[in-house]
Amino acid sequence: MTNIAMNLSSTDQARAPSGLSSIPFATRRKFFLVAMALPAVAYVIALGVFPLVKGIWYSLYEYNLLKPARTHFVGIDNYVNLLKDADFRGAIANTVIFTVFSVAIELVFGFIIALALWRDDRFNRVCLTLILIPVTITPLVVGLIFKGLLLADYGMVGYYLAQWGLTDPRGLFATPSTALATLIFIDIWEWTPLVALILLAGLKALPGDLLEAAAVDGATAWRTFRSITLPLMLPAVMLALTLRTIDAFRVFDSVFVTTGGGPGNSTNTLMVYAVKEGLSFFNIGKASAIANIALLGVAIIAACFILMIRHFDKRANGR
Amino acid sequence: MTTRSLAFDTARRGFLLLTLAFFLLPFLWLAMTAYKPSNAIFSIPPHLFFEPTLDQFRNALKIFDVGSLVLSSLMIAGGSMILSLMLGVPAGYALARSSHPAAMGVAYFFMTIRMVPAVAALIPFYLLMRDIGLIGSWMSVVLINCVLNTAFVSWMMFSYFRGLPKELEEAALTDGCRQFGAFWKVSLPAVRSGIIASALFCVLFSWNDFLFAMFLTRLDSKPISVALLSAYGTKDITWGTLGALAHFSTVPIVLIVLVLNRYFVQGLTKGIN
Repeated sequence: MTNIAMNLSSTDQARAPSGLSSIPFATRRKFFLVAMALPAVAYVIALGVFPLVKGIWYSLYEYNLLKPARTHFVGIDNYVNLLKDADFRGAIANTVIFTVFSVAIELVFGFIIALALWRDDRFNRVCLTLILIPVTITPLVVGLIFKGLLLADYGMVGYYLAQWGLTDPRGLFATPSTALATLIFIDIWEWTPLVALILLAGLKALPGDLLEAAAVDGATAWRTFRSITLPLMLPAVMLALTLRTIDAFRVFDSVFVTTGGGPGNSTNTLMVYAVKEGLSFFNIGKASAIANIALLGVAIIAACFILMIRHFDKRANGR
Repeated sequence: MTTRSLAFDTARRGFLLLTLAFFLLPFLWLAMTAYKPSNAIFSIPPHLFFEPTLDQFRNALKIFDVGSLVLSSLMIAGGSMILSLMLGVPAGYALARSSHPAAMGVAYFFMTIRMVPAVAALIPFYLLMRDIGLIGSWMSVVLINCVLNTAFVSWMMFSYFRGLPKELEEAALTDGCRQFGAFWKVSLPAVRSGIIASALFCVLFSWNDFLFAMFLTRLDSKPISVALLSAYGTKDITWGTLGALAHFSTVPIVLIVLVLNRYFVQGLTKGIN
């Protein structure tokens, strides 16, 4: 790099003796790259990071937009109160249950679909294109679709489920014991295709000769899958897992549209709770505290995955 | 093909067809609802067959100012796409070309921003927009969508530019091209597919967003996603009208993704192969 830069600067100087070229190329290159990156960095800091920091600040205040006169500094009281708040603990439990179950099922189901789509023929290419439709539909509309289908009174599916006594006559969304599971089902419907796509890309990147060699050596399909396919697929699996875990943890749209956190608090997730507190009740201090705890949750998830990926990398390289 | 592998292949295709039905039927149901007469929607037990009608579309166009809703959605999606590309593409380039250790850190910073829970930024952003008087305009939705999209585009273009051989530009630079010229004329055309993928994702994210739009826009500036939500809560709006309105929100984006499917898949699986 330096070599070429030196080279460039000397030819540059020889050709164009303008003011700029008295500065060495390496320096000008540095300035140029900084100038290219700066607008994006500045923008994201000003309108992204700055509000986030402001959010930490707000969370230390008793601050309600409807009662501005009562605004005062309360330190970590908002957080302490949240820990004592049963609704908040419920929201954490719901979010964790939602995340674990939807991601686990999406991963297994997605892997099976990816294996079925592995061979590169026309049929599979058409399937892959069509299967991605749920991923592109507005999440809000996805919520509405299932709300409509599962209505117990006249929904295409919900009516029969209730008639045959498979579900509570109130319908899946209106029964506390089934509402969260139904939301998990919606998430699976919406995002399994994405997981399948990522895993399929992983499968297609596998070294074909290794799989052939295993087949020649007489390894059974299951053995090949377990000792070759699965370990080599780890990067793709980790990518899908990371993406989906973080997204599922932040679930908002489908819950907000279908149940709004109810019945009772049975589907209240962290995001829904924060949005309701902050933008419906204008309880900025409390909402910011909830949002910050969610932020911390995402950070912990991301850190876990990074550590796991490093660990696997080390093991793979150590061999 | 042996009998056994033929049987296996048939089973595989059968499974895929069932899977397709599972993923497509709910969507087709909503699409169909829009062509049902109202009495067929509310019939008990629900009917699968009906006489198609365009009444629901007439209703939807009568009740909603669909043109202005779609226009708002377009402004939000288009505006944030253009701004994000203008900011993110050069940043991705600079990060990929810099050998400074901080460049990798900045790239990871962009990746992390994309993971931030939306509310954490939305509440302070809402207050900020209120203070500078932008609340209620689609501009504020563009601005906040742009934070996430710029971070995403920078990260994605970073990986696209990194896969580009440096020699290409170096040759151009020795030929007396200015630095920006080398970026604009040589590197940019070479990552065209990355730019299309980035643009596609920006449009997808912003078109489909409703959390930001719900709280940052007013009646006259709300996009179609927000209108759908408020329509759902209203008693005199039937599922059919809702289905008709949902056409305007889902059909464009599904078509765009189907047409640009190659870039969509490529962008999503970047970093695996």
